[in-house]
Amino acid sequence: MSNNNCELIRQELDEVMLGETISAAAVEHLRECAACRAFNEKQTRLREIVGSLGTVSAPADFDFRLRARLANDANRAAFHFWPLARRGLAFALVLLVFVMGYLAMRNVFQRPSGDRQVAADQHNATPAPQPVATVESRQDPNPAPELAESSSDRHQQTIRNERPVRIKRPLMAEDFSNERAPVFNGREPAGAFEVMPLDSSAQSFKVSLDDGRGNARTISVPSISFGSQRMLHMGNQYASKRDW
Amino acid sequence: MNTLTTINELGFAPALQQEMLEDTTSDHALLEATRTGDQDAFAELVSRYRNQITSYIYRMTNDYDGAVDLAQETFVRVYRAADRYQRTYAFSTYIYRIATNLAISELRKRKRRKLVSLTGFFQQNDGAEAQELNPPDSRPLQDSELVDTERRNAVQRAISTLPEKYRAPLILRDVDGRSYDEIARILETSEGTVKSRISRARGFLREKMRAYL
Repeated sequence: MSNNNCELIRQELDEVMLGETISAAAVEHLRECAACRAFNEKQTRLREIVGSLGTVSAPADFDFRLRARLANDANRAAFHFWPLARRGLAFALVLLVFVMGYLAMRNVFQRPSGDRQVAADQHNATPAPQPVATVESRQDPNPAPELAESSSDRHQQTIRNERPVRIKRPLMAEDFSNERAPVFNGREPAGAFEVMPLDSSAQSFKVSLDDGRGNARTISVPSISFGSQRMLHMGNQYASKRDW
Repeated sequence: MNTLTTINELGFAPALQQEMLEDTTSDHALLEATRTGDQDAFAELVSRYRNQITSYIYRMTNDYDGAVDLAQETFVRVYRAADRYQRTYAFSTYIYRIATNLAISELRKRKRRKLVSLTGFFQQNDGAEAQELNPPDSRPLQDSELVDTERRNAVQRAISTLPEKYRAPLILRDVDGRSYDEIARILETSEGTVKSRISRARGFLREKMRAYL
Protein backbone atom coordinates (compact mmCIF):
# COMPACT_ATOMS: atom_id res chain seq x y z
CA MET A 1 0.00 0.00 0.00
CA SER A 2 1.51 3.31 -0.95
CA ASN A 3 2.14 6.04 1.59
CA ASN A 4 0.24 8.48 -0.56
CA ASN A 5 -2.84 6.33 -0.34
CA CYS A 6 -2.46 6.02 3.44
CA GLU A 7 -2.27 9.79 3.78
CA LEU A 8 -5.44 10.24 1.78
CA ILE A 9 -7.29 7.64 3.81
CA ARG A 10 -6.09 9.12 7.11
CA GLN A 11 -7.15 12.55 5.95
CA GLU A 12 -10.59 11.22 5.17
CA LEU A 13 -10.76 9.51 8.58
CA ASP A 14 -9.72 12.77 10.18
CA GLU A 15 -12.41 14.80 8.49
CA VAL A 16 -15.47 12.64 9.01
CA MET A 17 -17.49 13.02 12.14
CA LEU A 18 -17.66 10.13 14.55
CA GLY A 19 -20.31 7.69 13.48
CA GLU A 20 -20.39 8.92 9.90
CA THR A 21 -19.90 6.30 7.22
CA ILE A 22 -16.61 6.35 5.42
CA SER A 23 -16.07 5.57 1.76
CA ALA A 24 -15.83 2.01 0.47
CA ALA A 25 -12.24 2.64 -0.59
CA ALA A 26 -11.34 3.66 2.95
CA VAL A 27 -13.04 0.57 4.38
CA GLU A 28 -11.15 -1.60 1.95
CA HIS A 29 -7.88 0.15 2.80
CA LEU A 30 -8.38 -0.27 6.53
CA ARG A 31 -8.99 -3.95 6.02
CA GLU A 32 -5.64 -4.32 4.33
CA CYS A 33 -3.41 -1.71 6.07
CA ALA A 34 -2.62 -2.50 9.72
CA ALA A 35 -0.93 0.86 10.36
CA CYS A 36 -3.94 2.82 9.19
CA ARG A 37 -6.22 0.50 11.17
CA ALA A 38 -4.21 1.23 14.32
CA PHE A 39 -4.29 4.93 13.52
CA ASN A 40 -8.06 4.81 13.08
CA GLU A 41 -8.56 2.98 16.37
CA LYS A 42 -6.44 5.46 18.30
CA GLN A 43 -8.01 8.38 16.56
CA THR A 44 -11.51 7.14 17.26
CA ARG A 45 -10.65 6.47 20.88
CA LEU A 46 -9.18 9.93 21.30
CA ARG A 47 -12.18 11.60 19.73
CA GLU A 48 -14.51 9.61 21.93
CA ILE A 49 -12.64 10.74 25.01
CA VAL A 50 -12.59 14.35 23.87
CA GLY A 51 -16.26 14.14 22.94
CA SER A 52 -17.07 12.68 26.33
CA LEU A 53 -16.05 15.92 27.98
CA GLY A 54 -19.54 17.12 27.17
CA THR A 55 -21.07 20.40 28.18
CA VAL A 56 -20.39 22.06 31.50
CA SER A 57 -23.49 23.71 32.90
CA ALA A 58 -23.57 27.35 33.81
CA PRO A 59 -24.10 28.06 37.52
CA ALA A 60 -27.63 28.39 38.81
CA ASP A 61 -27.24 32.09 39.51
CA PHE A 62 -25.94 32.83 36.02
CA ASP A 63 -29.08 34.73 35.00
CA PHE A 64 -29.20 36.69 38.24
CA ARG A 65 -25.57 37.71 37.96
CA LEU A 66 -26.04 38.67 34.34
CA ARG A 67 -29.06 40.80 35.19
CA ALA A 68 -27.12 42.51 37.98
CA ARG A 69 -24.22 43.13 35.64
CA LEU A 70 -26.39 44.62 32.93
CA ALA A 71 -28.19 46.80 35.45
CA ASN A 72 -24.89 47.98 36.91
CA ASP A 73 -23.55 48.73 33.47
CA ALA A 74 -26.65 50.71 32.62
CA ASN A 75 -26.44 52.71 35.84
CA ARG A 76 -22.76 53.28 35.38
CA ALA A 77 -23.32 54.48 31.83
CA ALA A 78 -26.02 56.88 33.00
CA PHE A 79 -23.90 58.43 35.72
CA HIS A 80 -20.57 58.04 34.05
CA PHE A 81 -20.67 61.56 32.62
CA TRP A 82 -21.29 63.47 35.84
CA PRO A 83 -18.08 62.83 37.80
CA LEU A 84 -16.05 63.94 34.79
CA ALA A 85 -18.30 66.92 34.19
CA ARG A 86 -18.10 67.97 37.83
CA ARG A 87 -14.33 67.72 37.85
CA GLY A 88 -14.12 69.70 34.64
CA LEU A 89 -16.41 72.41 35.95
CA ALA A 90 -14.49 72.68 39.21
CA PHE A 91 -11.20 72.93 37.35
CA ALA A 92 -12.58 75.58 35.01
CA LEU A 93 -13.92 77.55 37.96
CA VAL A 94 -10.59 77.47 39.79
CA LEU A 95 -8.81 78.50 36.60
CA LEU A 96 -11.22 81.37 36.08
CA VAL A 97 -10.72 82.61 39.64
CA PHE A 98 -6.95 82.53 39.20
CA VAL A 99 -7.09 84.41 35.92
CA MET A 100 -9.45 87.03 37.30
CA GLY A 101 -7.29 87.44 40.39
CA TYR A 102 -4.17 87.78 38.30
CA LEU A 103 -5.72 90.44 36.09
CA ALA A 104 -7.07 92.36 39.06
CA MET A 105 -3.73 92.31 40.83
CA ARG A 106 -1.98 93.39 37.68
CA ASN A 107 -4.31 96.35 37.22
CA VAL A 108 -4.11 97.39 40.86
CA PHE A 109 -0.34 97.27 41.20
CA GLN A 110 0.93 98.33 37.82
CA ARG A 111 -1.22 101.26 36.70
CA PRO A 112 -0.69 103.71 39.61
CA SER A 113 3.03 103.06 39.77
CA GLY A 114 3.43 103.74 36.06
CA ASP A 115 1.50 106.98 36.20
CA ARG A 116 3.39 108.05 39.24
CA GLN A 117 6.67 107.28 37.52
CA VAL A 118 5.72 109.28 34.42
CA ALA A 119 4.67 112.22 36.52
CA ALA A 120 7.84 112.03 38.61
CA ASP A 121 10.00 111.74 35.54
CA GLN A 122 8.39 114.71 33.91
CA HIS A 123 8.62 116.76 37.08
CA ASN A 124 12.33 116.01 37.54
CA ALA A 125 13.29 116.42 33.91
CA THR A 126 11.47 119.72 33.23
CA PRO A 127 12.24 122.31 35.90
CA ALA A 128 10.62 125.14 33.86
CA PRO A 129 8.01 125.05 31.16
CA GLN A 130 9.46 125.34 27.70
CA PRO A 131 7.71 126.12 24.49
CA VAL A 132 7.65 122.85 22.66
CA ALA A 133 5.74 122.30 19.48
CA THR A 134 4.90 118.73 20.23
CA VAL A 135 1.46 119.11 18.76
CA GLU A 136 2.91 120.00 15.42
CA SER A 137 5.16 117.01 15.33
CA ARG A 138 2.32 114.76 16.32
CA GLN A 139 -0.33 116.12 14.00
CA ASP A 140 1.71 116.64 10.87
CA PRO A 141 3.03 113.46 9.31
CA ASN A 142 4.64 115.28 6.32
CA PRO A 143 5.79 118.71 7.36
CA ALA A 144 7.85 121.08 5.22
CA PRO A 145 11.55 120.10 5.14
CA GLU A 146 12.89 122.93 7.32
CA LEU A 147 10.00 122.73 9.70
CA ALA A 148 10.19 118.99 9.83
CA GLU A 149 13.88 119.16 10.58
CA SER A 150 13.54 121.78 13.25
CA SER A 151 10.51 120.26 14.83
CA SER A 152 12.03 116.79 14.81
CA ASP A 153 15.20 118.18 16.42
CA ARG A 154 13.19 119.91 19.04
CA HIS A 155 11.07 116.85 19.52
CA GLN A 156 14.10 114.65 20.01
CA GLN A 157 15.51 117.20 22.43
CA THR A 158 12.25 117.29 24.27
CA ILE A 159 12.23 113.54 24.53
CA ARG A 160 15.78 113.60 25.81
CA ASN A 161 15.00 116.33 28.31
CA GLU A 162 11.61 115.28 29.48
CA ARG A 163 11.89 111.54 29.46
CA PRO A 164 15.29 110.35 30.48
CA VAL A 165 13.82 107.01 31.45
CA ARG A 166 11.22 105.54 29.13
CA ILE A 167 8.78 103.15 30.61
CA LYS A 168 8.07 100.00 28.70
CA ARG A 169 4.34 100.15 29.12
CA PRO A 170 2.64 102.41 26.53
CA LEU A 171 1.29 105.65 27.97
CA MET A 172 -2.39 105.96 28.41
CA ALA A 173 -2.34 109.77 28.61
CA GLU A 174 0.11 112.64 28.68
CA ASP A 175 -0.01 115.90 30.54
CA PHE A 176 0.48 118.92 28.25
CA SER A 177 -0.60 121.48 30.80
CA ASN A 178 2.95 122.77 31.26
CA GLU A 179 3.50 123.26 27.55
CA ARG A 180 2.57 126.33 25.63
CA ALA A 181 0.24 126.14 22.72
CA PRO A 182 1.87 126.42 19.29
CA VAL A 183 1.88 129.81 17.64
CA PHE A 184 1.26 130.26 13.94
CA ASN A 185 2.36 133.62 12.73
CA GLY A 186 1.30 133.27 9.13
CA ARG A 187 4.75 132.92 7.70
CA GLU A 188 4.37 129.32 6.92
CA PRO A 189 3.91 128.60 3.24
CA ALA A 190 0.47 127.67 2.06
CA GLY A 191 -0.12 123.98 2.16
CA ALA A 192 2.59 123.39 4.73
CA PHE A 193 0.00 121.97 7.11
CA GLU A 194 -2.66 119.62 6.08
CA VAL A 195 -5.72 120.30 8.02
CA MET A 196 -7.08 116.80 7.79
CA PRO A 197 -5.28 114.13 5.76
CA LEU A 198 -8.44 112.66 4.37
CA ASP A 199 -9.42 111.76 0.88
CA SER A 200 -9.39 115.03 -1.10
CA SER A 201 -11.73 113.70 -3.69
CA ALA A 202 -14.56 113.84 -1.21
CA GLN A 203 -16.46 117.08 -1.19
CA SER A 204 -15.51 119.27 1.73
CA PHE A 205 -16.83 122.39 3.34
CA LYS A 206 -14.33 125.28 2.81
CA VAL A 207 -14.32 128.67 4.40
CA SER A 208 -11.93 131.51 3.48
CA LEU A 209 -11.09 134.08 6.13
CA ASP A 210 -9.18 137.32 5.88
CA ASP A 211 -7.51 138.79 8.97
CA GLY A 212 -7.63 142.33 7.57
CA ARG A 213 -3.94 142.52 6.81
CA GLY A 214 -4.10 140.65 3.54
CA ASN A 215 -3.52 137.25 5.02
CA ALA A 216 -6.08 134.76 3.80
CA ARG A 217 -6.93 131.69 5.80
CA THR A 218 -8.80 128.77 4.36
CA ILE A 219 -10.51 126.34 6.66
CA SER A 220 -11.54 123.12 5.05
CA VAL A 221 -13.95 120.77 6.80
CA PRO A 222 -14.12 117.39 5.08
CA SER A 223 -17.38 115.64 4.60
CA ILE A 224 -18.28 113.28 7.40
CA SER A 225 -18.80 109.72 6.34
CA PHE A 226 -20.18 106.91 8.40
CA GLY A 227 -18.96 104.37 5.94
CA SER A 228 -21.95 103.86 3.71
CA GLN A 229 -21.14 106.69 1.33
CA ARG A 230 -17.56 105.58 1.02
CA MET A 231 -18.61 102.00 0.31
CA LEU A 232 -21.09 103.21 -2.25
CA HIS A 233 -18.44 105.36 -3.78
CA MET A 234 -15.98 102.49 -3.97
CA GLY A 235 -18.59 100.07 -5.26
CA ASN A 236 -19.65 102.46 -7.91
CA GLN A 237 -16.07 102.99 -8.90
CA TYR A 238 -15.43 99.35 -9.72
CA ALA A 239 -18.82 98.44 -11.07
CA SER A 240 -19.52 98.43 -14.75
CA LYS A 241 -21.57 101.44 -15.72
CA ARG A 242 -23.77 99.42 -18.02
CA ASP A 243 -24.81 97.22 -15.16
CA TRP A 244 -26.64 100.09 -13.54
CA MET B 1 -30.49 50.51 23.25
CA ASN B 2 -32.68 50.80 26.28
CA THR B 3 -30.97 51.58 29.52
CA LEU B 4 -31.83 49.65 32.63
CA THR B 5 -32.22 51.36 35.93
CA THR B 6 -33.24 48.42 38.07
CA ILE B 7 -32.72 44.72 37.93
CA ASN B 8 -36.45 44.10 37.82
CA GLU B 9 -36.77 46.06 34.61
CA LEU B 10 -34.91 43.34 32.80
CA GLY B 11 -37.65 40.98 33.96
CA PHE B 12 -36.43 37.67 32.70
CA ALA B 13 -39.35 35.69 31.42
CA PRO B 14 -41.45 34.01 34.03
CA ALA B 15 -42.57 30.48 33.34
CA LEU B 16 -45.85 31.47 31.72
CA GLN B 17 -44.20 33.89 29.35
CA GLN B 18 -41.55 31.35 28.47
CA GLU B 19 -44.25 28.94 27.41
CA MET B 20 -45.63 31.58 25.13
CA LEU B 21 -42.27 31.98 23.45
CA GLU B 22 -42.12 29.42 20.71
CA ASP B 23 -39.09 27.20 20.67
CA THR B 24 -38.94 27.59 16.95
CA THR B 25 -38.34 31.32 17.22
CA SER B 26 -35.08 31.95 15.47
CA ASP B 27 -32.13 33.53 17.21
CA HIS B 28 -32.29 36.36 14.73
CA ALA B 29 -35.88 37.11 15.66
CA LEU B 30 -35.02 37.02 19.34
CA LEU B 31 -32.16 39.43 18.88
CA GLU B 32 -34.39 41.65 16.77
CA ALA B 33 -36.88 41.68 19.61
CA THR B 34 -34.07 42.41 22.08
CA ARG B 35 -33.15 45.39 19.96
CA THR B 36 -36.65 46.77 20.31
CA GLY B 37 -36.47 46.41 24.08
CA ASP B 38 -38.01 42.99 24.60
CA GLN B 39 -36.10 41.68 27.62
CA ASP B 40 -37.86 38.33 27.51
CA ALA B 41 -36.38 37.67 24.10
CA PHE B 42 -32.92 38.34 25.45
CA ALA B 43 -33.60 36.05 28.39
CA GLU B 44 -34.54 33.32 25.94
CA LEU B 45 -31.28 33.84 24.06
CA VAL B 46 -29.35 33.60 27.30
CA SER B 47 -31.10 30.40 28.29
CA ARG B 48 -30.35 28.88 24.89
CA TYR B 49 -26.65 29.63 24.88
CA ARG B 50 -25.45 30.05 28.47
CA ASN B 51 -24.39 26.43 28.94
CA GLN B 52 -22.76 26.12 25.53
CA ILE B 53 -20.80 29.32 25.89
CA THR B 54 -19.77 28.66 29.48
CA SER B 55 -18.65 25.17 28.56
CA TYR B 56 -16.77 26.31 25.49
CA ILE B 57 -14.88 29.00 27.39
CA TYR B 58 -14.20 26.58 30.23
CA ARG B 59 -12.65 24.12 27.77
CA MET B 60 -10.57 26.90 26.37
CA THR B 61 -9.36 28.38 29.65
CA ASN B 62 -9.62 25.41 32.04
CA ASP B 63 -10.90 27.79 34.73
CA TYR B 64 -14.56 27.48 35.61
CA ASP B 65 -15.06 30.77 37.49
CA GLY B 66 -13.19 32.69 34.86
CA ALA B 67 -15.24 30.96 32.20
CA VAL B 68 -18.50 32.01 33.87
CA ASP B 69 -17.29 35.59 34.02
CA LEU B 70 -16.28 35.57 30.38
CA ALA B 71 -19.56 33.94 29.37
CA GLN B 72 -21.39 36.76 31.10
CA GLU B 73 -19.18 39.27 29.39
CA THR B 74 -20.09 37.59 26.10
CA PHE B 75 -23.79 38.11 26.73
CA VAL B 76 -23.23 41.67 27.90
CA ARG B 77 -21.48 42.40 24.61
CA VAL B 78 -24.25 40.79 22.63
CA TYR B 79 -26.79 42.91 24.50
CA ARG B 80 -24.84 46.12 24.03
CA ALA B 81 -24.20 45.47 20.34
CA ALA B 82 -27.75 44.36 19.55
CA ASP B 83 -28.29 47.54 17.56
CA ARG B 84 -25.29 46.86 15.37
CA TYR B 85 -25.98 43.17 14.81
CA GLN B 86 -26.19 42.11 11.17
CA ARG B 87 -27.75 38.93 9.90
CA THR B 88 -24.75 38.00 7.83
CA TYR B 89 -24.08 34.81 9.77
CA ALA B 90 -25.97 32.61 12.16
CA PHE B 91 -26.33 34.01 15.65
CA SER B 92 -24.44 31.01 17.06
CA THR B 93 -21.47 31.93 14.85
CA TYR B 94 -21.67 35.50 16.09
CA ILE B 95 -21.80 34.64 19.79
CA TYR B 96 -19.12 31.96 19.48
CA ARG B 97 -16.86 34.45 17.77
CA ILE B 98 -17.26 36.87 20.65
CA ALA B 99 -16.62 34.07 23.14
CA THR B 100 -13.55 32.89 21.24
CA ASN B 101 -12.07 36.37 21.13
CA LEU B 102 -12.66 36.84 24.84
CA ALA B 103 -11.15 33.46 25.68
CA ILE B 104 -8.08 34.00 23.51
CA SER B 105 -7.64 37.47 24.94
CA GLU B 106 -7.79 36.00 28.45
CA LEU B 107 -5.26 33.31 27.58
CA ARG B 108 -2.87 35.93 26.23
CA LYS B 109 -3.35 38.06 29.30
CA ARG B 110 -2.50 35.10 31.48
CA LYS B 111 0.54 34.33 29.43
CA ARG B 112 1.77 37.89 29.79
CA ARG B 113 1.19 38.03 33.50
CA LYS B 114 2.33 34.47 34.14
CA LEU B 115 -0.79 34.20 36.19
CA VAL B 116 -1.72 30.91 37.78
CA SER B 117 -5.37 30.41 38.56
CA LEU B 118 -5.93 29.86 42.28
CA THR B 119 -9.15 28.00 41.56
CA GLY B 120 -7.10 25.64 39.40
CA PHE B 121 -5.07 24.67 42.46
CA PHE B 122 -8.13 23.74 44.44
CA GLN B 123 -9.86 21.93 41.62
CA GLN B 124 -9.05 18.34 40.84
CA ASN B 125 -7.69 19.13 37.42
CA ASP B 126 -4.33 20.73 38.07
CA GLY B 127 -2.31 22.75 35.63
CA ALA B 128 -0.66 21.32 32.56
CA GLU B 129 2.75 21.34 34.21
CA ALA B 130 1.40 19.08 36.93
CA GLN B 131 0.38 16.58 34.31
CA GLU B 132 3.82 16.64 32.82
CA LEU B 133 5.43 16.08 36.19
CA ASN B 134 2.96 13.42 37.32
CA PRO B 135 2.47 10.89 34.57
CA PRO B 136 -0.71 8.86 34.91
CA ASP B 137 -0.59 5.60 36.79
CA SER B 138 -0.77 2.85 34.23
CA ARG B 139 -2.19 0.29 36.66
CA PRO B 140 -5.80 -0.59 35.93
CA LEU B 141 -8.42 0.87 38.24
CA GLN B 142 -11.32 -1.18 39.48
CA ASP B 143 -13.97 1.43 39.16
CA SER B 144 -14.69 2.24 35.53
CA GLU B 145 -16.29 5.51 36.50
CA LEU B 146 -13.10 6.60 38.18
CA VAL B 147 -11.22 5.64 35.06
CA ASP B 148 -13.48 7.73 32.91
CA THR B 149 -13.18 10.66 35.27
CA GLU B 150 -9.43 10.41 35.32
CA ARG B 151 -9.33 10.14 31.55
CA ARG B 152 -11.53 13.18 31.09
CA ASN B 153 -9.39 15.18 33.48
CA ALA B 154 -6.31 14.12 31.63
CA VAL B 155 -7.70 15.09 28.25
CA GLN B 156 -8.88 18.42 29.64
CA ARG B 157 -5.40 19.11 30.92
CA ALA B 158 -3.92 18.02 27.63
CA ILE B 159 -6.24 20.33 25.72
CA SER B 160 -5.26 23.20 27.96
CA THR B 161 -1.63 22.74 26.98
CA LEU B 162 -2.38 23.07 23.27
CA PRO B 163 -1.49 26.32 21.53
CA GLU B 164 -4.58 28.53 21.34
CA LYS B 165 -4.76 28.40 17.56
CA TYR B 166 -5.16 24.60 17.75
CA ARG B 167 -7.27 24.58 20.86
CA ALA B 168 -10.28 26.51 19.61
CA PRO B 169 -10.89 24.49 16.41
CA LEU B 170 -10.40 21.20 18.22
CA ILE B 171 -12.94 22.07 20.92
CA LEU B 172 -15.42 23.40 18.40
CA ARG B 173 -15.12 20.26 16.30
CA ASP B 174 -14.64 17.39 18.73
CA VAL B 175 -16.40 18.71 21.83
CA ASP B 176 -19.15 20.88 20.36
CA GLY B 177 -19.47 18.93 17.10
CA ARG B 178 -19.59 21.93 14.79
CA SER B 179 -19.02 21.75 11.06
CA TYR B 180 -15.80 22.87 9.44
CA ASP B 181 -17.64 25.62 7.64
CA GLU B 182 -19.05 27.07 10.84
CA ILE B 183 -15.71 26.78 12.63
CA ALA B 184 -14.05 28.62 9.77
CA ARG B 185 -16.61 31.41 10.08
CA ILE B 186 -16.24 31.60 13.86
CA LEU B 187 -12.45 31.75 13.68
CA GLU B 188 -12.51 33.95 10.58
CA THR B 189 -10.20 31.72 8.63
CA SER B 190 -10.41 29.25 5.76
CA GLU B 191 -11.87 25.77 5.96
CA GLY B 192 -8.57 24.24 4.88
CA THR B 193 -6.75 25.97 7.70
CA VAL B 194 -9.32 24.70 10.16
CA LYS B 195 -8.91 21.10 8.95
CA SER B 196 -5.16 21.36 9.11
CA ARG B 197 -5.20 22.81 12.62
CA ILE B 198 -7.61 20.18 13.89
CA SER B 199 -5.46 17.42 12.44
CA ARG B 200 -2.36 18.84 14.10
CA ALA B 201 -4.21 19.32 17.38
CA ARG B 202 -5.25 15.67 17.36
CA GLY B 203 -1.66 14.70 16.67
CA PHE B 204 -0.53 16.69 19.73
CA LEU B 205 -3.24 15.09 21.83
CA ARG B 206 -2.36 11.59 20.68
CA GLU B 207 1.15 12.16 21.92
CA LYS B 208 0.04 13.55 25.26
CA MET B 209 -2.67 10.94 25.80
CA ARG B 210 -0.61 7.96 24.76
CA ALA B 211 -1.11 6.25 28.10
CA TYR B 212 -4.87 6.44 27.84
CA LEU B 213 -5.29 5.27 24.26
